[in-house]
Amino acid sequence: MRNLFYAVLSVIFLCPLSIAGEKDDVEKLLKSRIDAVISFLQNKELKGEEKEKKITEIIIPMFDFSVMAKLSLGKKHWPGLSGKEKMEFKNHFVKRMKASYLEKMNLYTDEKIVYKAPVKIRNKIHIPTHLISKGDKISMLYKLYKAKSGWKIYDIEIQGVSIIRTYRTQFDQVMSKGTFNDLLLELKKLGNK
Amino acid sequence: MKSGAMRHYKLIIFLVLGFISHAVTVFPADVKTDISQAEQNAVSEGIDNKENNEFDFDDEFSGQARVKVFDPLIGYNRFMTKVNDKLYFYAVRPLATLYGGIVPEPGRVAIYRFFKNLLFPVRLVNNLLQLKFEEAGIEIDRFIVNTTIGVLGFGDPAKSLLNLDAREEDFGQTLGHYGIGSGFYFVLPLLGPTNLRDMIGKVPDYFLIPIKYLDNDEIIAAIFAGDYTNYLSLHIGEYESIKKDAIDYYTFIRDAYEQNRRTKIEE
Repeated sequence: MRNLFYAVLSVIFLCPLSIAGEKDDVEKLLKSRIDAVISFLQNKELKGEEKEKKITEIIIPMFDFSVMAKLSLGKKHWPGLSGKEKMEFKNHFVKRMKASYLEKMNLYTDEKIVYKAPVKIRNKIHIPTHLISKGDKISMLYKLYKAKSGWKIYDIEIQGVSIIRTYRTQFDQVMSKGTFNDLLLELKKLGNK
Repeated sequence: MKSGAMRHYKLIIFLVLGFISHAVTVFPADVKTDISQAEQNAVSEGIDNKENNEFDFDDEFSGQARVKVFDPLIGYNRFMTKVNDKLYFYAVRPLATLYGGIVPEPGRVAIYRFFKNLLFPVRLVNNLLQLKFEEAGIEIDRFIVNTTIGVLGFGDPAKSLLNLDAREEDFGQTLGHYGIGSGFYFVLPLLGPTNLRDMIGKVPDYFLIPIKYLDNDEIIAAIFAGDYTNYLSLHIGEYESIKKDAIDYYTFIRDAYEQNRRTKIEE
């Protein structure tokens, strides 16, 4: 009985500690990755493709693109797709997401990034950051969740605009009017405008 | 001749008179409808539990994503977005690029800061109206430090030395803070996305801009145009990047505008 009491007590007292530790660890992980990305971005000696390849190698494992693809279609459209369609959609979506992320980082990272205290919401950790760019503050919120393989990004909010939310509205628009093939066609066109 | 800026605000006042009562009564702030929740439940019932687990944070997006932006003027808005797009690529961007080629970036950042410092009364008053006294205090500190040590606001020592960030607030956000909804979405010529609430908000804010009190309308208009060109010269590539992300850039920009404003109001 007494052992149980101590066990409960230690769980009660240690839990907040472990959670706080987890938050900081996740932030540290994200920070090390992003710092590495920025150092590559600002490295003038690295050229186009090689630079992109290096950056992709560091930051891409941080994302859970499967979940992102799923969330961007949502409960309304995702379950109705066949396995093949899901794969096809995911491939094109991931391609665009990678390119989009690199573009954004290229646009905004002329100065530095400030990390604010991470927020834990159930099994998710949100890490607010600010990019200081050209006299302005641009807020970038990294949203991570605990996947089987560790903490992964499932959404980013830039200036309060969620990537998943905006894609979802757009995909919904296409899917409501047309078919999955229309969506795929539109997805292939992205990035070439 | 009256300046462009003056005419712009006359147009807004005209719109305000026409729609104010309508908007306030019909569109409360939380358009996050219960209907969308009911719809959501109906959808999830049809899905087995395994799928449900995979979507355990789907709800984070479903509620708000289903908020329909009220856009009765979509025909006009789409048209004006297209006009602005052409204006951007054929007039505004070439001009801003040319200007950016002449004035080096640090100079343009300093000019941007100078104008931002002049907007201090807008930020101060709206922080006070929202009872954000700490933020208002920070704005006062920033204004004093940047106007003196920062040499008329061209520098931002309040940020670089004291780590004080500007607390951006405008009257549109103040209205939102007190529960006024967006009203309808509207695309302004040249200036781009806004909505009824934010247009109304521009009127009191305008009276808090010191430049307004210069006695020559042409000079006022020229200053606004210069400020705008200077700002855009620092942000070339952003609009292009947004367009690349969008299947339909009209709805993309519209939803992004509304999400951005909502976040700012909640802050």
